[in-house]
Amino acid sequence: MSGFFGPLDTEGRVPPHQQTRVAAFLISAHGALARQSAFTLPTKLESAWQTELNTQLFRETEIVSLLMRATSWAPDPGLGYMTVAWESAWFPAPVYEISDWPLAVAAGLATLAHAVHAAIRPAALLPVEANSEDPFAMALRRIEFESGRLLQAQILSLKGPDLVPFRDAVNSALERRHTEVRKLWREMLQSVGIAVGNSNDGEH
Amino acid sequence: MPFLNHGSYRIRYELEGPPDAPAYVLVNGLTQYAELWAAYREALVAQHFRVATFDLLGQGGSDKPALYINQDDQVTALHRLIGELGDGPIFLTGISFGGLIALRYAIEHGERLSGLVPMSCFAELSPQLLLIGNALRTGLILGGTGYLQDLLLPMNLSDQWLKPLLDKLDSVKRQGWLVNDVYALQNLMESFLDFQPLTPKLSSITLPTMILNGEFDFLTPRALHETLRVEIPNSSLVIIPKAYHAFTLEKGALTADLLARFAKDVLAGRWQGNKAVWVAPEEPGDELMPFPEGYDHLRAIPVRRAST
Repeated sequence: MSGFFGPLDTEGRVPPHQQTRVAAFLISAHGALARQSAFTLPTKLESAWQTELNTQLFRETEIVSLLMRATSWAPDPGLGYMTVAWESAWFPAPVYEISDWPLAVAAGLATLAHAVHAAIRPAALLPVEANSEDPFAMALRRIEFESGRLLQAQILSLKGPDLVPFRDAVNSALERRHTEVRKLWREMLQSVGIAVGNSNDGEH
Repeated sequence: MPFLNHGSYRIRYELEGPPDAPAYVLVNGLTQYAELWAAYREALVAQHFRVATFDLLGQGGSDKPALYINQDDQVTALHRLIGELGDGPIFLTGISFGGLIALRYAIEHGERLSGLVPMSCFAELSPQLLLIGNALRTGLILGGTGYLQDLLLPMNLSDQWLKPLLDKLDSVKRQGWLVNDVYALQNLMESFLDFQPLTPKLSSITLPTMILNGEFDFLTPRALHETLRVEIPNSSLVIIPKAYHAFTLEKGALTADLLARFAKDVLAGRWQGNKAVWVAPEEPGDELMPFPEGYDHLRAIPVRRAST
């Protein structure tokens, strides 16, 4: 089992069944972040950090829209079952140790967003010989690049003054989210013949 | 592939060479990974050393804490690795960020070491280094690992090394990009946010210390190494000719040879630091040359040192 997409077709494109499952996973994860950002975003912004939430909402939506159009979709009977598992994993998980409920919910969303943006690196699955002009390959590169930027909002909020008193609880929740997201990502990739490293997921 | 446990995190490491031989422990720079020491492993094992390499927390195959990486944790992880090496002589070296971790280790556990080699290193953040570090962090945030690599390559390597690789730099960068994650590199960089200068503690390092500094090191220039030379009593500063910050990549054979010679001199009782300043040869095996008497080694032009 390789750590990259493949075998590529003669034009250096990722096989459609791999494109389908990876795109479905990313749409599920980023779609969940878009929905949760939308519900958390007030009609009128009250704090400076909420500008980041506004950005988040539209960047996540862009990622979903991009994948819908850039993916070469193939029929995938296993997708229904997997999507249910993924969607249930993205359910809001407030950090219960925080007594201020809106803050606990926001911190929970930030841990999910951090895990998705930091731990999921779709462009790193592209082998050297992948066609750089292929829309799917370009989409993955863009998603990984934008994730690195989006991540900054989570880093700022999770390390921010509001959450400093709950540092240990936030850190534990974040590590749990990372483990969970990495596990789902790894299992999905294994289902299409891709083996990724197991760093940080507690399984060796 | 063996792992050490540090709390809930794992540290990937590798040992090579005879278990009863004197050991060299090599500590990565911030954007590096253990495989970059492969040529050193080979050269030092051939010189009858045991070699330990590892990925720091947040790097390569070691675990990457999601939000915080503390430099104390890096020192503790290093201590665990050194604990695996038995009771024989141990030499510790590290480059740049890794050199800083090695310095901290020597301050806290110097009794466990036989010798120390900080390379392209610093004990404090000068205004230039602080501002460059901040700018590199911003570069990482805005442009990702690839952009950070784009900034570091021309800053830290010579034209001679870069020229033949200009049309394949993507492949040079690819492995580092694959194994290092943006958030983890950012956490490593942000471990400096509460950094306290080590300078007041350097004098407690009493073990033989060879400080290596590239002639043209832009990121950590001579003055930062001079602090180490002045403060560490049994030290010498060795200037690597025509070398930049990342001379361990560019001049591997020469550097491995200097490391081996230093350890052999220490083990044979020949080492004398004397806070001397030396110029390394350009080829491995050639002799080191004392820096010309009376001239100021902190200047880039031949200026006579002010008498003290």
